[in-house]
Amino acid sequence: MRKVKLATVWLDGCSGCHMSLLDMDAAIISLAGKVDLVYGPLVDAQEFPDGVDVTLVEGAVSSMEDLHKIQEIRLRTNVLVSLGDCAVTSNVPSMRNPIPVNKLLQRVYVEGADEGKVIPTEGVPPLMKHARPVHEFVKVDVWVPGCPPSAKAILSVVTDLLAGRKPEANPNPKFG
Amino acid sequence: MPQTISIRIDGELVSALQGQTILEAAKQAGKYIPTLCYFEGLSAVGACRLCIVEVAGTDKLLPACTTPVQDGMSVTTTSPKLTQYRRIALELLFVERNHVCAVCVSNGHCELQNLATSLGITNMRHWYNYPNLPVDLSHKRFVLDHNRCILCTRCVRVCAEVEGAHVWEITERGISSRLTSGLNQPWGQVTDCTNCGKCVQVCPTGALAEKGWAVEEMVKQNDNISGLAHRKGGQ
Amino acid sequence: MPPIQDIGAFNAVREAGLAKLLPPVPRVAIGMGTCGRGNGAEGIYHAFADLIGRTGMDVKLVSVGCFGACFQEPMVNIRLPGEPLLVLRRVQIDDVARLLQDISSGRITPELVYCKLEEWDHITSTVKYGRGYPEVPSWTEVAFFKGQKKIVLRNCGLINPDDIEEYIGIGGYQTLYNVLIDGRPDFVVEQVKASKLRGRGGAGFLTGNKWDFLAKSKTDPKYIICNADEGDPGAYMNRNEIEGDPHSLLEGMIIGAYAMGASQGIIYIRAEYPLAVHRLRRAIQNAREYGLLGNNVLGRGFKFDIEVVEGAGAFVCGEETALIASLEGQAGRPRPRPPFPAQKGLWGKPTNINNVETWFNIAPIVSKGPAWFSETGSTKSSGTKVFSLVGKVHNTGLVEMPFGTPLKTFIYDVGEGGSTPGRAIKAVQTGGPSGGCIPREMFDTPVDYETLQQLGAIMGSGGMVVMDEDNCMVDVARFFIEFTHSESCGKCVPCRVGLDKCLRILTGITKGIPGMRDRLEHLDELARMIRDCSLCGLGQTAPNPVLTAMRHFRTEFEDHLLARHCEAGVCQDLALSPCENSCPLRMNIPRFLQLYQENQIEDAFLSVILDNPLPGSTGRVCQHPCTMRCRRQTLDEPVNIRDVHRLIADTVFASNNFESIVKRIIARKLEPTGRKVAVAGAGPTGLTAAFYLALLGHDVTAFDEKPEAGGMLRFAIPEYRLPKAVLRREIELIERLGVNFVFNTKVGIDLPLNELADRFDAVFISIGTWKDSWLYLPGTELKGVHSALGLLEKMSRGIPAPIGPKVAVIGGGNAAIDSARSALRAGAEVTIYYRRDRSDMPAIEEETLAAEEEGARIVFQALPHRIIGDQDGAVRAIEIEKTRLGEFDKSGRRKPVTTGEIQRYECDTVVLAVGETFDLDFCKASGLELKEEGTLIVNRFTLETSRPYFYAGGDVITGGSNVSNAMGFGKQAARNIDERLMGEKRWDRLFPEFTYSQQPPAEPSGSRRHNGHLIELMLRSRSNEEVVTGITPKEAHEESCRCLRCDVKTNVSAS
Repeated sequence: MRKVKLATVWLDGCSGCHMSLLDMDAAIISLAGKVDLVYGPLVDAQEFPDGVDVTLVEGAVSSMEDLHKIQEIRLRTNVLVSLGDCAVTSNVPSMRNPIPVNKLLQRVYVEGADEGKVIPTEGVPPLMKHARPVHEFVKVDVWVPGCPPSAKAILSVVTDLLAGRKPEANPNPKFG
Repeated sequence: MPQTISIRIDGELVSALQGQTILEAAKQAGKYIPTLCYFEGLSAVGACRLCIVEVAGTDKLLPACTTPVQDGMSVTTTSPKLTQYRRIALELLFVERNHVCAVCVSNGHCELQNLATSLGITNMRHWYNYPNLPVDLSHKRFVLDHNRCILCTRCVRVCAEVEGAHVWEITERGISSRLTSGLNQPWGQVTDCTNCGKCVQVCPTGALAEKGWAVEEMVKQNDNISGLAHRKGGQ
Repeated sequence: MPPIQDIGAFNAVREAGLAKLLPPVPRVAIGMGTCGRGNGAEGIYHAFADLIGRTGMDVKLVSVGCFGACFQEPMVNIRLPGEPLLVLRRVQIDDVARLLQDISSGRITPELVYCKLEEWDHITSTVKYGRGYPEVPSWTEVAFFKGQKKIVLRNCGLINPDDIEEYIGIGGYQTLYNVLIDGRPDFVVEQVKASKLRGRGGAGFLTGNKWDFLAKSKTDPKYIICNADEGDPGAYMNRNEIEGDPHSLLEGMIIGAYAMGASQGIIYIRAEYPLAVHRLRRAIQNAREYGLLGNNVLGRGFKFDIEVVEGAGAFVCGEETALIASLEGQAGRPRPRPPFPAQKGLWGKPTNINNVETWFNIAPIVSKGPAWFSETGSTKSSGTKVFSLVGKVHNTGLVEMPFGTPLKTFIYDVGEGGSTPGRAIKAVQTGGPSGGCIPREMFDTPVDYETLQQLGAIMGSGGMVVMDEDNCMVDVARFFIEFTHSESCGKCVPCRVGLDKCLRILTGITKGIPGMRDRLEHLDELARMIRDCSLCGLGQTAPNPVLTAMRHFRTEFEDHLLARHCEAGVCQDLALSPCENSCPLRMNIPRFLQLYQENQIEDAFLSVILDNPLPGSTGRVCQHPCTMRCRRQTLDEPVNIRDVHRLIADTVFASNNFESIVKRIIARKLEPTGRKVAVAGAGPTGLTAAFYLALLGHDVTAFDEKPEAGGMLRFAIPEYRLPKAVLRREIELIERLGVNFVFNTKVGIDLPLNELADRFDAVFISIGTWKDSWLYLPGTELKGVHSALGLLEKMSRGIPAPIGPKVAVIGGGNAAIDSARSALRAGAEVTIYYRRDRSDMPAIEEETLAAEEEGARIVFQALPHRIIGDQDGAVRAIEIEKTRLGEFDKSGRRKPVTTGEIQRYECDTVVLAVGETFDLDFCKASGLELKEEGTLIVNRFTLETSRPYFYAGGDVITGGSNVSNAMGFGKQAARNIDERLMGEKRWDRLFPEFTYSQQPPAEPSGSRRHNGHLIELMLRSRSNEEVVTGITPKEAHEESCRCLRCDVKTNVSAS
């Protein structure tokens, strides 16, 4: 049986959702046997491959790089899962949204800095006006809210997807 | 003594008292209708529209919290349409302001959050507004975070109807509506405020909270307020 | 004045009042409503007063309210003793002296007279003015008033609203008196119930039932309230009613108070109506003085008084529970009902609230009886309703019509159709921001509460805003949501947040913000939720404009979302400029004008030809929709865009540098793709598609049944309009881009479509309408009857035209005019017969005028009846039947109706130019689906037919149109065929960057428009030489300077 190509992505988030993914105890061993983890912070692949079956996205879309990434990933993914509140609601990253970007950067890099009071421009992707949920930019197939979503919730969704089922609507989705 | 009448709720025949609302009759019969702005003992305002029900004989959806029962009335509390509309109402509340459950003192004890769970909401289809709203920290014991306020007016009512202090009111209109204290002063400067904290305890979200609690720690204690309100002669 | 205590005193006042209305001296009444004042009525009043004062003339000067025809303001009524009342319109200060002269001479010159009133039914009495002025139409004979029935507006514009005696003089307060003497309040309630009067505020609840409810309540005190918080944009009937006749309101309220047992009345009126407030306060004061209000009304022991409260202008305060909250000094927010105001209203006491107009109906109902009242109107809605008819109609104003009158009567009869020539009426919005828009196709709908509701609209307070093709329905929906959004009180979630989300989505659509594609579904769902779940009427009705616009004008929403196009040209973010937006080829017009202005002729040409491959030809024959919306015309006249690109094309084609420019064009070609595309039909559509497909690197073969390319441009449009040499050099350029032409081959007959499918990767069907429509009437089989296209084709091929010296042309399109002018050039005498009127002619106006100048005669409203032959079977004469313009049809034009009057005209040749058609059976056989009317079904946006890789555009999908429209389809098809074949968007790669100024002119250039020059009549009317020489380079330069550069969008920061 062909192994399912699974990828994970980390946009604007804290990696807590990835931690929760790893937190599923013994289940992760049987899961590892069924999937090929082809891309993500947990593996050492440089390029997002073509023809990925399932991609779990952690984090909100905050920068032009996030946007570019998620658009590419959408093109190469069959089922896209918004994993965790940041991807689903933009959560903590969105707390900056009411503040204009230049004011924000000024506060962090100039007013808040002890030395080298400059706003970095090189080597960092420009921030978008707002950090926004993934589905406002690309089509999302499954949402798993939670901060982080419980390992159980993640396992249940992934198990459904591996079995080729549309994930049952999470009976108890919980934000936060 | 009010007259006893019978009505049907989801097909089941139950008895109710003349003058009761559908919601009161349903509660008495052990039937659940989701509510948010309603608080037992305070006047009902029918603002959140979560308690809308279908009543046979009218095309209109009626709020259970303000519609009086009538003899022979047949009420439907759940239908695909009602669920869809309730979800939209909740989604609208979520996108209206900045509800970040993960960092909220009321996380896990929030009526808005719990309703989202019970209605199976996994995401918001409408775009967020991300308004820039202040937090009023001027009161020595309490805090008002407009980002988390859903304008249910429970605080307004409990303050006016039970405490009698009339500290809270809604100012402006439409999407700009905002809770305000005193004569549009910082809460801490409102001398009418008796610091009783009833508004905090009836607030369904983390908008009104006690100072000093961290995320998930603010558990509202409001069981006794309804009783108090009833003794005061509220509804 | 002591209060009236008995009938004797009352009758004395009544007589005095009537004497004021019909004085033994001339009476001049100035319409001094807000509408009249806004148009200068006060100045006229003072001019009359001054002159009367100075001359000492014995003339009674008064001010009255509005008579309803607001478009005719300022209006003045003049009545000489014993003569009819003359209603004068658009009176200016300059007219005053002459009018006073007329008055003293005893005869008003009819120039300014709009209509006359010989007698007037005030319902409570009839006033006889007198007979005379047979040449002046009676008020019932002028279009605006025809069919109107004035019950509510019975006194408006005729009596002095500030004089209670005039009101009593025409029978006012008589009904009240009778009711008080009769002493049976319950009988009054019964009468109102029996009349089936429904609340005129919008919801249409039965007034009698409400009254009954309050009357039966035992609580004391009870309140009655008049809701005069008229807040709908575009609605002002309540304002004018109060301004014109405040006592009718008071009388209705006093009767109501008596019937229901209320002791206090309140009129809640908008503070924005200062004149109405002022007149109302004075009326109340007078009513108290005369004993009509107070502790002892008319001496009958009834106690009642009225107070005026000014509302602060919140729309939601029109909702009764919010209104009550506002009266109690709280924020105007509604509360759920029950309890209803009749149970728990103002200060917790039983309260009845009725709209101004409802109260106006009370005295007539009580005085004439319910049976009289319900004679008027429809079965479910009795009586009349006052509407404010505004927007894109000729005649605007207050229209009082019986319920059940069809919408088209309002718009086409009373309103006399569209106010902007050339723009068809598209829809009407009833009920203001809470109502819905009803499309033209449904104008047969009778207006009453139920029918409007079925269409998703509402009656509301009676606003009727007419919209035409210049209105974008998405923008209209956005506008109304913006209004209700800003007026939402914010109490309930659906209205507060839902409308905000609706507004954001609609704004996104009108601004072309990306990511809106799937928003239509959300919008629809949200709008329904707001409608079904909101707390009060504001929220429940606020989504109506969106829901109806999406229901009746869905294609406009799709255009915005999928094609980023706003047909009306309203949504500026979707267009470069109004001219670009209206050009079917979406030519970047400001760019080539600016390049020309900067003397960059070659770049200007490149810009033109890459946008439009036939610039010289279209520069001569295009219908130039670009000028229709050119903003320059708001200053003087539109820029002559067409002649500038004609000149650019002519200059460059003839220049020495032409070869180097051709190289630049060929250099734009993308690398060869190896894909083969067939273009079936090498007319303007096919040539355009072939041009772009070749540029995109495809291998293009164009087939045509004729021996040359060009289609109608080559074989129908005569030489004198489009010299064939101009067309030929443009086709040559297309050939040089690598397009192969195969002539004398009829696709579908000589070359089956399936064979094309085998040989090509994609097929574009762009054949024209080469089959003439034939009129089937007696005599068309005679010798000398020709089809226009057949005739034009013969002449374009240089074959002598088979026409005699007297030619009759039937039709009003371009083919008719072309045939006529060609026949003139062949030496014939020509008459054109057209069944409608001049303004309805589809031909280009300039061409029609030129034809007439050249000697063609046009007979309008003439339908061919039969053609008469001689014994040899040749044409001898034509008989036409005169038509008159009847009702408006669904296209918004008046339908020609035959009159039976036959006229005979001698002629020897008849040319039938009554439209063209085609035969697409071969397409059907190859699996392409057709519409019922015989055109091909395509995806509106991609132009792909039901068979994959088969595209179609031009006449085969529209059924016949004009050159630029046809070419637009060719361009659109090429873009989509390329995207389909290559799987990527390559279109933008065709177009180079141009460098030109991005600065709009600081001041508009002062130059006037230059039109193309017609060569002298003597020279042109008998020769085939081109008749319009275009404009000179200097003129073209000035034209390009006249452009206002609407394409340059400066960001105006909000400061």
